[in-house]
Amino acid sequence: MQLRPQLQIQTIIKAMMEDVIPALDQSNQLAMQSAQLTIGTLTLLAQHLPLEYRFDCDELARLVDCAQALADQAQGKTRTQAAVDTLAQAQQAGAQVLERARAEPDEIVQAVRALRSATAETVRAVHAEGSGTVQAQVAATVMAMSKAQLLRDRSWLLMQGWEPDPTRVPAIETLLAPIARG
Amino acid sequence: MHTIDKDRPTPEWIAATRKRFEVEREVDRALTYKMEKRTSPPYTKLPLERLVAGVQSLIASQLKTPFEITEAQWLSGGASKLQMAFSLTWDRPGVGRETTRMVLRTDLAESLHATSRLREYQVVKALTGSLPVPPVFWVDNTAEHLPYPGIVYGFVSGVTKPSNAKGNVSGLGTFIPEAVRKQLAPQFVEHLARLHTFDFRQADLSVFDLPKPGSHNAELAVNWWDRVWEEDCDEDVPLMAVASAWLHQNAPPVEQLSIVHGDFRTGNYLFNEADCRINTWLDWELSRIGDRHQDLAWSTSRAFGTYAEDGTTFLVSGLMPEDEFIAAYEKASGLQVDRRSLHYYQVFNAYSMIVMTLATSYRVARNGKSHQDILLAWLLGVGYMLQDEMRDLIEKAS
Repeated sequence: MQLRPQLQIQTIIKAMMEDVIPALDQSNQLAMQSAQLTIGTLTLLAQHLPLEYRFDCDELARLVDCAQALADQAQGKTRTQAAVDTLAQAQQAGAQVLERARAEPDEIVQAVRALRSATAETVRAVHAEGSGTVQAQVAATVMAMSKAQLLRDRSWLLMQGWEPDPTRVPAIETLLAPIARG
Repeated sequence: MHTIDKDRPTPEWIAATRKRFEVEREVDRALTYKMEKRTSPPYTKLPLERLVAGVQSLIASQLKTPFEITEAQWLSGGASKLQMAFSLTWDRPGVGRETTRMVLRTDLAESLHATSRLREYQVVKALTGSLPVPPVFWVDNTAEHLPYPGIVYGFVSGVTKPSNAKGNVSGLGTFIPEAVRKQLAPQFVEHLARLHTFDFRQADLSVFDLPKPGSHNAELAVNWWDRVWEEDCDEDVPLMAVASAWLHQNAPPVEQLSIVHGDFRTGNYLFNEADCRINTWLDWELSRIGDRHQDLAWSTSRAFGTYAEDGTTFLVSGLMPEDEFIAAYEKASGLQVDRRSLHYYQVFNAYSMIVMTLATSYRVARNGKSHQDILLAWLLGVGYMLQDEMRDLIEKAS
């Protein structure tokens, strides 16, 4: 997917700064402040977006460690025991999630890009050197993969309004496979 | 894996890319110019005075009598061009002293289409009197006077869609009410037929290369967009490799060459809202001498059409069903439509549009090279619907 938030945010900020803000009534303090805050919020968003997943994993790891330490330390009566039991369950669940969260989003994107590139090069190589039968088989495999992927790409961007008949495109929530099945 | 930094292409890489893809000489010049300028700074808002000074210099190089430029103002130039309207008071040849409303249309630091203003100038000049086109006056093909290459047209009034019509950006997917389309559709077909039967061999089209007989025309066309894909794309798309291979393998011969507009669709003509008369055809920058099926196929793309009120009838360019369109064209032009060539160019056009959106729109917006990066980033999204259309077309062909 080439249309990613980083590019979108960059272009929104530029449009705001070069086109929208200069056209505003500069004496309208509320409008000017809101416009500046819009840019500030988007800049913050652009900064956070690539790190958000890492930020959450980092916090989760810290909380898992902390829960382990608390389980060893916390002693009391019924209420404390109940709290420690709940904490232990949450710690175990958190540790399992953390165990599965091994790749960062950017690593996944880079792996996708590498496979896209290698797949395309394979098609080009087969087209240059392979037999007609091999070319047809390779094309059919790529076409089938593309068909499934493009349905998701189109659904992802449905709100943009490019589809002549949007009712023929299922909602993206129904198309994406869960990342991990617990 | 070795990757090329396309934002900072080396002279060696530019030269190697030029060598890999045979294209028309002027297309090569425009694409090479783009790549050589790629490391230039992002687009920053130009003061109107800068464009006025540029157009002043351009006109002064062409006129020997005094002239004056007044009433300069910005116009919306769409996704790929800057446009400025102005009034020129001058001694117009054959007319005398008059004030003429004009439009300057220039490239950007990098445009959605890296094309030649001189080709645009020559083709519009050639068609003057044969088709509704804007008067064309002067061209600055290498930015000798202007900040970027540009062309000066006469101003033509009109609208690209009815005032109350719905549609997406750049005139895509415009819904035209039945009463209006009934009047526009016959003109749309008639103008396309007239374009394709125009005797271009008598015209000065020196920056257009004639393809050799056979499938050379299609090869040149595909190579153009193969090259742009290579120069501009960020992430590769396996389906594009399949499509390029299919287009080279299935390139059809052309039995009769025509001027091809290259972007013949609703959104690229102006009409009078009062009487629905088409006043002028715009956006000739993708024109070439080639196969008329390229235009026919372009007009029928799903990206440019809409469904009629019944929700099931797809309207070519928002105007009429495809079968009616083809039949009317054959009648008006006296030329047969070869369904296989039409199908081929439907795949080709989807391919070229995907290159423009997924590759060039991305590259221009990412490097901040246009005045409407946000629009270019938005346009990226249509590339996926087009890919699916292309995939479906290739599948049907086999």
